[in-house]
Amino acid sequence: MRHKGNKIVVAVAGQPNSGKSTIFNMLTGARQHVANYPGVTVEKRTGKYSHNGNSVTLVDLPGTYSLTSYSQEERIARDFLLHEKPTCVLDIVDASNLERNLYLTFQLQEIGIPLVIALNMMDVAQARGHVIDTHKLSELLGAPVVPTVGNKGKGKQEVKEAIVNTHKNTENGSFRIDYGEKLESILGLLEKKLSEDLDISASYPVRWLSVKLMENDSEARRLVEKAVSA
Amino acid sequence: MTMDEIRPGRGCRIVRQNLGGATGQRLMDMGFMPGTKVEVIRNAPLVDPVDLLIRGYHVSIRHAEAKGVEVEQL
Repeated sequence: MRHKGNKIVVAVAGQPNSGKSTIFNMLTGARQHVANYPGVTVEKRTGKYSHNGNSVTLVDLPGTYSLTSYSQEERIARDFLLHEKPTCVLDIVDASNLERNLYLTFQLQEIGIPLVIALNMMDVAQARGHVIDTHKLSELLGAPVVPTVGNKGKGKQEVKEAIVNTHKNTENGSFRIDYGEKLESILGLLEKKLSEDLDISASYPVRWLSVKLMENDSEARRLVEKAVSA
Repeated sequence: MTMDEIRPGRGCRIVRQNLGGATGQRLMDMGFMPGTKVEVIRNAPLVDPVDLLIRGYHVSIRHAEAKGVEVEQL
């Protein structure tokens, strides 16, 4: 179940040094340790706040460049998303480093949990002369995009509003990466096969699992092997 | 040629990446894909690292890692 009354669980994800902990502190009023170097958060931490009668629990995930199973941080982040099934993911994107950060956004979208995107460090991006059309970005990604400046508290209310409204956003999850004809034909076969296994298709996003199997991801292989032998 | 041979101030384009495992995956996650333009900013001659500009951000990698990235000089 994604919704238990008005309790909302939000996973805060993002690449290292994108400002996850700063946004986490901004929203919860906590004073969790933040330092200006990557890898400060290696475990997940939780915090709470309420907004318009909704009780929101935030889980601050470790920073990862992607969601493979090569490093411990990536496995922690990924297992949480797959097994705990949060209501939504607050994806912290460093606006001054948009291209690299969007790679993780795509991976999060493949997992299929509704996204709210905080376009953080907008001031840094602007100072570098970057102009970002947030409406267009939101339209393309099929998810709300909120510009923020974490260390100045900018965008706080807007993020909170977007989080409680995630269930209203019917566009969410409409975005899909096209890997091209060669890969898509194989992906299609894998997706079909995996969908036929009810245990797998009920527990994991089939498209995501298919992509990971093609990458020869060891954890994805283990999940499928376990389900098949059960 | 490989990325460790590019002089500071010169640009190159990634042809192939031969690093496997976790390092290879990490570099791919960070956008080290064939066809990507990279500028070498600094290169410590004796010890690591090599400072690069790729896709609008700076990253430093080891010489051993730069050696695993095949490039063409621009």
